[in-house]
Amino acid sequence: MRLLIYSFIFLFAGFSFTSQVAAETWYVKKSATKLQAKAKARSKVLGKLNKGTPVDVLRKSGKFYKVSAGGETGWIFRFKLTKNLPSGSGGDDDVLGALGGQQQIAARESAYGSSIRGLSPVSEEHAIKKGASPASIESVKEMERYKVDDEALDKFLEEGRLGAYAD
Amino acid sequence: MKTKFIILCFLGALFWAIPSHSFNFGNILKEVQKSTRPPEKTQPSKEEETKPKQSPAQSSGQSGGLIGLGNSLGIFDKKTSKILQQSVNTLKALQPIAYEEEKAIGGRLAVEVFNRYGGAYDDPELLRYVNLVGQTVADVSSRSDIDYHFAILNTEFPNAFATPGGYVFVSIGLLRMIENEAELAGILAHEVAHIARKHALQTLERSRSLQGVSSLTLTVIDKDPGLFDKLIDEVSNVLFTKGLDKKLEFEADKYGREFAYRTGYYPGALKRFIQKLGASKKNQGSIFSSTHPTSRERYSLLQKYSSRYKKASLYPTLGKRFKVALKRQN
Repeated sequence: MRLLIYSFIFLFAGFSFTSQVAAETWYVKKSATKLQAKAKARSKVLGKLNKGTPVDVLRKSGKFYKVSAGGETGWIFRFKLTKNLPSGSGGDDDVLGALGGQQQIAARESAYGSSIRGLSPVSEEHAIKKGASPASIESVKEMERYKVDDEALDKFLEEGRLGAYAD
Repeated sequence: MKTKFIILCFLGALFWAIPSHSFNFGNILKEVQKSTRPPEKTQPSKEEETKPKQSPAQSSGQSGGLIGLGNSLGIFDKKTSKILQQSVNTLKALQPIAYEEEKAIGGRLAVEVFNRYGGAYDDPELLRYVNLVGQTVADVSSRSDIDYHFAILNTEFPNAFATPGGYVFVSIGLLRMIENEAELAGILAHEVAHIARKHALQTLERSRSLQGVSSLTLTVIDKDPGLFDKLIDEVSNVLFTKGLDKKLEFEADKYGREFAYRTGYYPGALKRFIQKLGASKKNQGSIFSSTHPTSRERYSLLQKYSSRYKKASLYPTLGKRFKVALKRQN
């Protein structure tokens, strides 16, 4: 009987001291989200996950969540994850493919990258019809083409000790 | 004794090894999670996601049938039926506006912003800096899965705008009033919050222009160009003249501060800037002041909900980096 009581105390105490939580499925909010070896922004990057990749959250520790994705376990900055499937994502992306895709992510400086959608023809036609200046229309197109690449953004965060790099 | 110890160790090890989802300690777990959750209900929780508010009267679709029945049974006369039908149409549920249509509306309004407020300010380095700051706060926002675009307007009036679909603007006049990066982050995050929370779309979904329209698609817009005219006029009037509802502005302030804080910026920066803006002569009579609640109201509200940002003073404002980015302007 005493053994049983000790066992329960031991189990309960063990549970209380861990921050391990019931595994929940969360999703990666944005492509190229880093899966890291430790709960630190400067730790080794194990891979990069695509938007919509489902991950099992195993543990929460400050700004980072320990997750399991496609057989790989690592840490992700918590604001890169969402409980709901992000819009526009397939949701069942090939996680292993995503993990292996790190090399494919080219390092580019902030530049006019490829446009995601561009100014809608409906918007442009309407703007022309209403006499908006061509310069204004072109400015919106330029605005849409402008892309800050992930590497530049990461460097910016690191220099400012922001985001995952914040103390 | 030794056996007992081994059994205890075994049980302990077993517990640690078992995947946590095998147990559900319900409230205990909730308490663990609660300790890292913002205490205040009016703030976005750390995992909260954008859930645009429901369009009004989602269930009103049945009412038309009832009115028709009432009419045929002689309960309502024709005039009453017509009035009731009009009311129902006004309240008729509009499906939430999808992203493609949101971008069409927002893109058109973005052209209007450049058209009305001095066009684009030509400084690639400063533009890059604004994009970096903007992107950092957008990335931790509750709607980080869409693309955000940031631009600087060539006007000395202090202005900042957001149009649906991810377009954010800040004027060079406003940038010159800012003292540090945390203030800029707070302002851009306020605008990102308008987009993330779909404030302009919410206003539009309640609009009379969409009376009787159950789903606003590009096909519907193509078939009825007059409808797009009306929509753009209506949202332009809200964004550039009347301003959004005060509650939505306050919400954008709270969410904006939260997004800046999540990024790691000093969370008091937005409040401080609002106070400064209120005292500025530059702001008097500007479109920014006429479309927003008073600085005093905004400051008070942010002050009221400041308690959750403990140790706020430890967070950086990054004044030096901001000054370097803007130095050619002085």
